[in-house]
Amino acid sequence: MDLTRLPNDKKLQLCRWYFKVGCLLLPFVWAVNAVWFFKEAFMKPPYDEQKQIKKYVVMSATGAAVWVAALAVWVTVFQLQRVAWGPTGDSLSFIVPLGRA
Amino acid sequence: MSDTGSESEIEEATEHTALMDGHIAEARPDREIAERIARKRKTKSDNQQSYGSVERTEGGASGAAGTSASNPPPPQPPADAQIEELELKYGARHVIKLFVPVTLCMLVVVATISSINFYSVKDVYLAYTPFHEESPYAVTKVWNALANSMILLSVIALMTVLLIVLYKKRCYKIIHGWLILSSLMLLFLFSYLYIEEALRAYNIPMDYITLVFVMWNFGGMGMIVIHWKGPLRLQQAYLIFIAALMALVFIKYLPEWTTWAVLAVISIWDLIAVLTPKGPLRILVETAQERNEPIFPALIYSSTVMYCLAATTPPPPGEPRARELRPLHPHGRGTADERRAARESGGAGDAAGFDAAWQARAQQQRRLRVDSSQPPRYTTRLERSPAPAQQPALDDEEKGVKLGLGDFIFYSVLVGKASSYGDWNTTLACFVAILIGLCLTLLLLAILKKALPALPISITFGLIFYFATRCVVKPFADALAAEQVFI
Repeated sequence: MDLTRLPNDKKLQLCRWYFKVGCLLLPFVWAVNAVWFFKEAFMKPPYDEQKQIKKYVVMSATGAAVWVAALAVWVTVFQLQRVAWGPTGDSLSFIVPLGRA
Repeated sequence: MSDTGSESEIEEATEHTALMDGHIAEARPDREIAERIARKRKTKSDNQQSYGSVERTEGGASGAAGTSASNPPPPQPPADAQIEELELKYGARHVIKLFVPVTLCMLVVVATISSINFYSVKDVYLAYTPFHEESPYAVTKVWNALANSMILLSVIALMTVLLIVLYKKRCYKIIHGWLILSSLMLLFLFSYLYIEEALRAYNIPMDYITLVFVMWNFGGMGMIVIHWKGPLRLQQAYLIFIAALMALVFIKYLPEWTTWAVLAVISIWDLIAVLTPKGPLRILVETAQERNEPIFPALIYSSTVMYCLAATTPPPPGEPRARELRPLHPHGRGTADERRAARESGGAGDAAGFDAAWQARAQQQRRLRVDSSQPPRYTTRLERSPAPAQQPALDDEEKGVKLGLGDFIFYSVLVGKASSYGDWNTTLACFVAILIGLCLTLLLLAILKKALPALPISITFGLIFYFATRCVVKPFADALAAEQVFI
């Protein structure tokens, strides 16, 4: 896809679609949306739909950032508490690193 | 110079038309093409004996015309020469544009092979390769490998025919379903296996919640970007990763000698399917052209955006023909890619040797796999508008090179297989050989201007370099090193 060739209303549509899909636990889509439309939202000379695109880009970016933070917190907590949680921690583990001699 | 100016003009004109015919003429195997070019040059030289050197470039022709006093040099030839030069330059730039993704794909495969043991250990095999080469005798291994590769090839051919039938009958939904199914398998199942092995190899702790979340995001984005709309770079990255994953599956699940036999057989098949008048891929491409349709995006790597645009937006009625033609070509490739993708998915299913239920499901997918095996035919094509001079504005946007994902896969299979023996000289030799082959193919593309199979030249070079390096150069270099001889 080449954004520069899209008419403005299609851009807005696409941006909104990406944002909506991102709500299905897909923060990666949000991140892509934010990066992809960043130039459209902030660098281009103003046009009618830009305000809305800006809104979606900002929301996508914050959403993705929140998800990343949440994931980081979860991973840290899990790795620190895995032993303490006993069987629960074990059953949640996908890979348990092997010790080295 | 005995020729009059008018004669020379006429000759030039015929030359010109002959060249144009050459583009349109039916595809033939590479040798024949080479011969034809040689013949063409000869005949030209015969016609233009008076000119001395038989260069067909416009510069020479116009110069000859200029010598005839009565007629001014015809304006067409110089323009033509410029166009051709431009095209070659474009070609050169696109060659480099293709080098990067091909190299990246190979890099992913080689890095994986050399860091993750899983992909070089032989335990499970594809259902397509019933002979496992366990005999100690070379003869038995050879016929095992040949039998395996013939089975694979026939499956591929069968699937190709099936695909053509589906395409001819306009069962697009079924084809798209296959494609989506196979990309789903690659993006979720095989990526899952890949992540598991990678994490295990690097000893990184991971919990199921994070894993599921990451897989869901990765796969979901991949499906969107491959089958719908998304940033071009991201789409390219996903396609490269998919191709690398498929190559890894082939390396892992094909028996040793069979891999080499398959590479050889597939490149021959590629040649036949693309270049024979009744070749299946050719039929596909022609059908697509007749219908003026865009290609399936999942199957082809394109170096420019235009392809995406062509595929996603219906061509406006007023649009020039050139544009419409291009999408068609891609179609042919696309089908091949699809097949590959299907193959990948199917092959992976078999290979992994999952439980019975899964296998039962996989049987349906096998067909898909077979289809995917077709991908070898993917053709590299330089897209150009037929009359570039007429629409310069459009030209820039529309030019681009497309390479089927199957090409990526088999290039990577060759290099990855070479690297699995742990010898970097051999790996580098294969890598260089494949890039040279790609260059030659693209050069031929610029000359012949039609869809060409990208596998034969590259794979032939790769195989020659591999066996030469392994059997001759390496022992030689080892002996030199052992004797402390420095050349």
